[in-house]
Amino acid sequence: MKPLDPRLLRTARAARSVLAIGAVLGVVRTLAVVAWCWFLAQAITAVALPALGIPGGAASAAGGRVAENASSASELPMLLLAAGLALAVRTGAGLAMDRLAARGAVLAKAQLRAAALDALDARSPLATDGRPEAERAVSLARGLDALDGYFSGYLPQLILAASATPILVLTVLLADPLSGITVLVVFPVIPIFMILIGLATQRVQDRQWAQLNRLSRSFLDAVEGLPTLKIFRRESRQSERIARETREYRSRTMQVLRVTFLSGFVLDLAGTFSIALVAVTVGTRLVGGGFPLGLGLFVLLLLPETFAPIRQVGAAYHASAEGLAAVGAVFELIDGPVEQARDRRSAPERRSDPEPVGRVGSAPGSRGIRFDDVVVRRGDRAVVGPVRFEVAPGEVVALAGPSGAGKTSLVATLLGFLEPSTGSAVHSGAIAWSGQRPDLLQGTVAENLALGADRIDAERAERVLERVGLGDLDARTPLGAGGSGLSGGQAQRVAVARALYRADEVGAHALVLDEPSSALDAHNESVLAEALRAEADAGRAVLVISHRPALLASADRVVRIGETA
Amino acid sequence: MTRIPVLERDATPLERVIARALPERSKRAPGVALGAIADACVVGLLALSMWLIVRAGEQPPILHLTFAIVGVRALAGGRAAFRYAERLASHRAALTQLSELRVHAYERLVPRIPGAIEDRRRGEVLGAFVDDVDQLQDLPLRVRQPIVTSGIVIVLSLIAMAIVSPLAALVLALALAGSGVLAVRWSSRIAAESDRELGAARAALLDALLERFRAAETLAAFGALGRQRERISAAESELSRVQLRRARAAGLSAAVLGAAAGIASIAILLLLAPVTGQGLSAPLFAAAVVVPAAVFEVFALVPTAFVARRTAMASAERVAELIETPLPAEIPVDAVVEDRSDRAPDPSAPLLEVRGLSAAHPGASAAAFSGVSFALRPGETLVVSGQSGAGKSTLAAALVRFLEYSGSYLLRGREARALPQTEVRALVGLCEQTPHLFDADLRQNLRFAKPDASDQELLAVLDRVRLGDWVRERGGLDAQVGERGSLVSGGQAQRIALARAILAEFPVVILDEPTAGVDREVADALLADLLGALPDDRAAILITHTELPVGVRANRIVL
Repeated sequence: MKPLDPRLLRTARAARSVLAIGAVLGVVRTLAVVAWCWFLAQAITAVALPALGIPGGAASAAGGRVAENASSASELPMLLLAAGLALAVRTGAGLAMDRLAARGAVLAKAQLRAAALDALDARSPLATDGRPEAERAVSLARGLDALDGYFSGYLPQLILAASATPILVLTVLLADPLSGITVLVVFPVIPIFMILIGLATQRVQDRQWAQLNRLSRSFLDAVEGLPTLKIFRRESRQSERIARETREYRSRTMQVLRVTFLSGFVLDLAGTFSIALVAVTVGTRLVGGGFPLGLGLFVLLLLPETFAPIRQVGAAYHASAEGLAAVGAVFELIDGPVEQARDRRSAPERRSDPEPVGRVGSAPGSRGIRFDDVVVRRGDRAVVGPVRFEVAPGEVVALAGPSGAGKTSLVATLLGFLEPSTGSAVHSGAIAWSGQRPDLLQGTVAENLALGADRIDAERAERVLERVGLGDLDARTPLGAGGSGLSGGQAQRVAVARALYRADEVGAHALVLDEPSSALDAHNESVLAEALRAEADAGRAVLVISHRPALLASADRVVRIGETA
Repeated sequence: MTRIPVLERDATPLERVIARALPERSKRAPGVALGAIADACVVGLLALSMWLIVRAGEQPPILHLTFAIVGVRALAGGRAAFRYAERLASHRAALTQLSELRVHAYERLVPRIPGAIEDRRRGEVLGAFVDDVDQLQDLPLRVRQPIVTSGIVIVLSLIAMAIVSPLAALVLALALAGSGVLAVRWSSRIAAESDRELGAARAALLDALLERFRAAETLAAFGALGRQRERISAAESELSRVQLRRARAAGLSAAVLGAAAGIASIAILLLLAPVTGQGLSAPLFAAAVVVPAAVFEVFALVPTAFVARRTAMASAERVAELIETPLPAEIPVDAVVEDRSDRAPDPSAPLLEVRGLSAAHPGASAAAFSGVSFALRPGETLVVSGQSGAGKSTLAAALVRFLEYSGSYLLRGREARALPQTEVRALVGLCEQTPHLFDADLRQNLRFAKPDASDQELLAVLDRVRLGDWVRERGGLDAQVGERGSLVSGGQAQRIALARAILAEFPVVILDEPTAGVDREVADALLADLLGALPDDRAAILITHTELPVGVRANRIVL
């Protein structure tokens, strides 16, 4: 695992400023820590030396170097004042780092989200990686919150470890070379052990991961399947299974934890053991009179601080792994589906495929819609085609065929969401469209109708509702998330009305509706057929995909595709 | 489960859940003891090494320091070793408890699912429930354990400190209490305020993003992707605001603890300086001055534990709400019937007959359907149709006794209410509208409907639901269906469920929209086959909103 993902730094610029300002704050905080330890050690020495019967200040022969450079008791107020100041700076710098990290997390999340959405907005809406929509949405919402731990837990400690540790080690080295060397010997042991333990953990986890996942999900599986279990009278046998699988989960988890916790053990041991080593060596030298007490205390106070950042980095390792995994999921979104890249015109991967000769576009000269031998391929499979037909202005044409025949894909070429691999799909001017799903959004009915328009024309909204037989639906009715609040049939008609609104708004030459009556009863279906006729009479080319006999009967022509002879 | 009989009867639902989440005292004890020793080593190591150095400054014979030198080394090693042992012990205890907790939660859930939770919220509620149950492990691990161990160590440190100097102990106690109250109250007040805000802001962002993905084609076709981006940004900045406020609270409480430790050291130094050398030895003085740093290091776990406590308690409340509250009246309970004489089936009565039947969902103000009457004889098919929301699926739930009913519901002349639920379900089966597939292979998903079925039998049924070729392509019955059936399409899942219902050979089978996700042509053929070939001793109820295929004879009711 890389400690820092370079791509994260490139995409989320906020992370860079966190690193830069954080490093400065880290140095300030470290200097304050050194000062705090120094002044506290001096203050303790100033009080302790007289009590030990050794006069402070000038070196006296009595205790060898024990009292060397010691402050006198009269300097105590000044020392404590300085210590207090250092404490204040340390606290302030710490607070500032916390806030910087929190702000950085929030900004970085926003920047990553924006980068992902920029990439998605630029891509065809049909170019998905096949993951469920909810999963993609979650990876951009809650998924990114895993970065909080990364920014507030891991990154500041990483900065501190990088900026503070050298200063602290150098200080110890200057204060007492022997202690410094002890620290320098102990320090490299930590990463070596961490790597060894990390490898061991990885091995254990690799072996157990799938198993652990399955076991941790089995309870959810039983709970979610409870109605099914009850129908087949199997509910009472599950208790034993849940108990058994949870026990198995425990024993496997404990096997993993036994290794995982070792890294904490090594960090703890390295930190405390070097304190013990230094305390003992300083102590023995003091007994021999060969070392100043003040310096010994200083080194001892400083040692826990020296190890603190690297211990915290180890403790925040999980936060780092989770955060980087979340970032990885976002980069997958940014990079997009691998397969879809081949469908794009400029994609270099295309070279092995035949050159695309398909064309989509609007031809201002001819009005209406025209499909010229359109073939759509996905991978090596022809989804649809070749299809050739046209819809003239003033005409209602129905497109029929069994499901899977590629009716929707054909329309997608018209909208520019799919590229025909051969042939061309041409329409003139703007096109108004409504898809198979209503896709209504949170907001009022009127806001939904005026989707994509700059402002809401209330009169037009009422008119289009009237035309789809929803005259008594108040356009101010608020809809919940996903357009909830309407019945299936109502939602479908609002979606059709939205296309009519758009046709009016932009003066579309063509109206394309995909299964607009699948949730409608016979009466509303005939209302819809009338509305389509009126659109055609207004000079638009109307193309409607449907398998409903009534709608097919009301069309001027029916084009059938994908039907085996 | 007779462990806590008093609690079982008198405790509130929440208390019962908490009691269930905590391992027994005897299983908790090793973790607590090891944790307290490990934390005591932290304090002891700093104090003793300080003492050692200052005492060495007196230049006594080195032999007088042997005890301290050995002690320092022991404490250094002890801390890491005890910490490691503590983590293993407390995790083992919590994970052991998890198995009991899950079984209990499952057993309490059995009567309530699916009746007690609305269909459309069920997936979400149960997902959250399972997370909540697992989250309860935090109660012993991240709440109890740190609070109890640091409590023990702090009290011990204060006692030791009081022996050296009562005044210093008082200063330390005041610093701990003052900063602790400040840090805990601070973070919990701001956090409690923003908990709801945070939830709402997160949901708003997720909704906006979901819309972006679900309605991607529409947004692109209408040139409205930019507008959706604005919505997402607005939801995002609201969430950022709440998150920043929470982070600020957390940062402040950490800073308060750090500053308090330093202030305590300075105060103790000032207070003890005059008496050092007169009644208080210099080494003890030095130890007393630095001990606050170590005590606060231990104490820092407490505010974190309180934050974890709030989350865990919220989980406990939701779990209690779902499984420890009294069963609503709409959920059927097996009646205790003493007299078994009238329970013999009457072969001349209809297979299934209902008169004036109605049923309601728990918490609903009105019945989902009412006044339904029909009779079903062997060989017959009944089609139930009606608008969505008319109560078709509720009728199915009442007939398989997921919901209590009023009116009369007779199975071969016997009132269903008087029969055990399992007996009713042996007679009346259901193929659900949204069936659950278990995360296992196809064979296991089919076989639990008929445990002794052979592979040939299973494949024959799959052929009947037009999945035979697909299954063979996928490598036969060993094919995995994935988590929640994620590796199969909706239509395939429905047909697998249909195969299950066929295998179980229910005398009466209710098919709830069995072909909603299936191509019309395949669906018609499937229904014609299933209902046309109904054995003479069985009957079917078909819930559907589409027309019946030609050639299927059926009675019809409209809800």
